[in-house]
Amino acid sequence: MAVEAHELTKDYKYGFHDVDISVFRTEKGLSPEVVAAISAHKNEPEWMLKFRLKALAHFEKRAMPTWGADLSGIDFNNIYYYVKPMEEQAGRDWDDVPDSIKETFDKLGIPQAERKFLAGVSAQYDSEVVYHSIRADLEKLGVIFGDCDTGLRDHSEIFRKYFGTVIPPNDNKFAALNSAVWSGGSFVYVPKGVRVDIPLQAYFRINSDNMGQFERTLIIAEEGSYVHYIEGCTAPTYSSDSLHSAVVEIIAHKDAHVRYTTIQNWSNNVYNLVTKRAIAYEGATVEWIDGNLGSKVTMKYPAIYLMGERAHGEVLSAAFAGEGQHQDAGAKCVHVAPHTTSNIVSRSISKDGGRTSYRGHIKVYPKAHDVKVNVRCDALLLDEASQSDTYPYSDIENPDVSFGHEATVSKIGEDQIFYLTSRGIPEAEATALIVNGFFEPFVKELPMEYAVELNRLLAVQMEGSVG
Amino acid sequence: MATTIESASGITGAAVETRAAASPAWLAERRRAAWEAFTALPMPDHMHDEDWRRTDISKLNLADFSVEPPPGDAVAGDALIDVMRTLRAEAAPDSAFLAITRRGLRACDEMDMLTAQGVIVSTLEEAAIQHPELVQRAFAAVRVGESKLLAMWDALWRTGVFVYVPRSVDARVPVWAAYSVAGDNAAIFPATLAVLDDNASLTLVDSYASPAGDAPLLSSAAALFVLGDDARLDYHNVQQWGAGAWHFATHRAILGRNARLRVFGAALGSRLQKVYWDALLDGDGGEALLTGVCFGDESQHMDLQSLQRHRGQSTHSDLLHKVAVRDRAVSVYSGLIDVEKQAQHTDGYVQNRNLMLGGTAKASGIPRLEIKANDVRCSHGVTAGHIDDDMRFYLESRGVRRDDADRLIVRGFMQDALDRTPHPGVRELVARLLDEEIHGRSQAGVEAPEGGEL
Repeated sequence: MAVEAHELTKDYKYGFHDVDISVFRTEKGLSPEVVAAISAHKNEPEWMLKFRLKALAHFEKRAMPTWGADLSGIDFNNIYYYVKPMEEQAGRDWDDVPDSIKETFDKLGIPQAERKFLAGVSAQYDSEVVYHSIRADLEKLGVIFGDCDTGLRDHSEIFRKYFGTVIPPNDNKFAALNSAVWSGGSFVYVPKGVRVDIPLQAYFRINSDNMGQFERTLIIAEEGSYVHYIEGCTAPTYSSDSLHSAVVEIIAHKDAHVRYTTIQNWSNNVYNLVTKRAIAYEGATVEWIDGNLGSKVTMKYPAIYLMGERAHGEVLSAAFAGEGQHQDAGAKCVHVAPHTTSNIVSRSISKDGGRTSYRGHIKVYPKAHDVKVNVRCDALLLDEASQSDTYPYSDIENPDVSFGHEATVSKIGEDQIFYLTSRGIPEAEATALIVNGFFEPFVKELPMEYAVELNRLLAVQMEGSVG
Repeated sequence: MATTIESASGITGAAVETRAAASPAWLAERRRAAWEAFTALPMPDHMHDEDWRRTDISKLNLADFSVEPPPGDAVAGDALIDVMRTLRAEAAPDSAFLAITRRGLRACDEMDMLTAQGVIVSTLEEAAIQHPELVQRAFAAVRVGESKLLAMWDALWRTGVFVYVPRSVDARVPVWAAYSVAGDNAAIFPATLAVLDDNASLTLVDSYASPAGDAPLLSSAAALFVLGDDARLDYHNVQQWGAGAWHFATHRAILGRNARLRVFGAALGSRLQKVYWDALLDGDGGEALLTGVCFGDESQHMDLQSLQRHRGQSTHSDLLHKVAVRDRAVSVYSGLIDVEKQAQHTDGYVQNRNLMLGGTAKASGIPRLEIKANDVRCSHGVTAGHIDDDMRFYLESRGVRRDDADRLIVRGFMQDALDRTPHPGVRELVARLLDEEIHGRSQAGVEAPEGGEL
């Protein structure tokens, strides 16, 4: 088993890809024509076309960010910005999904996961949601769980009210890019007082060579509601670089509770540049559970704006950087209202020359008194070639605050290894155990099958790390 | 057509030429190169420079300031020098004392003990002529033109203090350098440089002060140190500029093998300060213990930026920066622990603790880590909090008056930093100055003794 696992590390675990079956795609590169073609193909209303074109202008105007990871490898002209898969928007029945796509999902283990306890699956294959189901009782409660294109078409009133309000197109260069060419992604609306007991899940997948994926997720939780949304990503390996640039917006109204879980495992040639931001109104809670394992470069800093009194934000972040990877991840909590609290826990591991960076920002505005903030970042360096950085920013503008930030960077403790090996545990296993323990605060927040999968992935990654 | 004649008393090329004319050739060349770099570089800009993002100096107009004292009475400022002498007498009466103003070296006392040991203590200007190789060793810590404001200092510094401690000599008494300036729109460029040969040791104090009040003042300072193998330097900096002062400083030390640096900085005065502390741990086994206390009130803006650069193996650095702010004061701390690839067995630590005493005070903390070696232990912590009501209640319920209670709590908060002050006399002095700040009895800057005038 161990040998088998070791074999897997040599090639990307999910590094298969199907013969390209997409039926419509825009030409490579970016122009107002490409943007108009996307909008036209989707039969979008005029306001969305205007929104996209304006965003494109922002994108072109903005300089590339140079303060973080190295992005010089991105060639914006060598990317397909929109690819539509072969079938029209699929029905809700699993049997309607084309066999070739099913095969791909089979390899990813999606059907099993669904059989276990999925409520609705919104699986993104290339740029469009092709499979999508909602349990009838959720529909009865008035919960909307679909893709963003459908949201725009069928629920335009709610959609338009919130779309682009948390992350405007001019927020940053990549949010602008996403706003110009977005397609797919999830649209979730939970009415007042409704608790969605089972997690809503979506699986995203890049397939075409050189294809960017620009999904857009919008989650609205009305007063007193609860929803847990899970997004997992995995992509096949390709020789040329891919770009993934998503935008996720969450609005948690009074006393609502939204949890957003991501496990990102893009293949090692993907630039993963994502803007995620939530607004938490009075008494609301927003949690980002954010795991970054794959990709070549990830830049992702889930943010929570605490706009109402007693709002609470929580970010749990885990990152693993192996050879050639740079995980530049972190969190941002902005306290605008009094009596708000936030908690950030970050764990990262660098191995085989990988680099992890924690980048975070805590801001407490002058009117936000009685604020409590806690930040804890820990990093492990597993070998001499690896690197770890911490860039935490804090701006406290109200004296009536309790703020604490702590970070450590170290290697695995020799005494910990010694303790375990002295009890007969081989060194490799001891290291894996310590790593598992290190990620424990993150893993324990995951639904069971994700926790199992993550532990398995970590074990695979850790193979051969000793000796 | 009107012609503008460049005044040699402003921050101008003409002023640099005046300085260059009084300098040996190598130094004149350095000054001119620095001035060239200064004129070529843009002013730091909070909109574009990450280091300056939280510190806005767009209201600073360098053209307002004069490097020359006003013509007139040569003894003007004597009262201020007496105040400086009193501070030294309170903290380290045995120390060798050098008092410097824009007029040059105004006092030079108690040098004999050190000169008898072979220690060189003199103005930097004189040392640049007498001991150019030694002085150049210290100047090598700064690349000409590495930043605009440091280039300004490099081109325009005057008088200065230089100390050289020969191999295996423990300088028996501290060197106390007092930089003071009075009057409106004065520019002063404190310069303290020291070279410690292998196994040498030295205690050094830089004391900066100007009279209390809002008189505009520009201070651009540097303290540069080179520590040989096994050398030990204790450096103290007590900043008491008046409330109209812009204060920019770079304090930098390069450490040899097993060298030990202890820095203690007390930031009490100025309208705005941006101070850099750079500990460059180049040799194996070096150790840097950096401690800061900062009290900001009114609309003071206090910015400290630190660098702990670990290049040698098995080096250790530990920074503690304690800040109390109230009224509209702002504290900015940013720091970097930079561990280079070969710097295995590094132990690096940063703590920044902010006590928010009400008003609309603000504190920013940015402690960064960049770690390229793996067998290390680096950590940092930043906190911001206010006085615990329970603590206050506890003290008040025992009959301690409220302002006494607050003073006790703030002193308690500062105490672990004060305890790290290498020189006990400086510790007591700073503790007293802090008490006065907490009570609101003292403004930024120094006051004249009873009935006097500065």
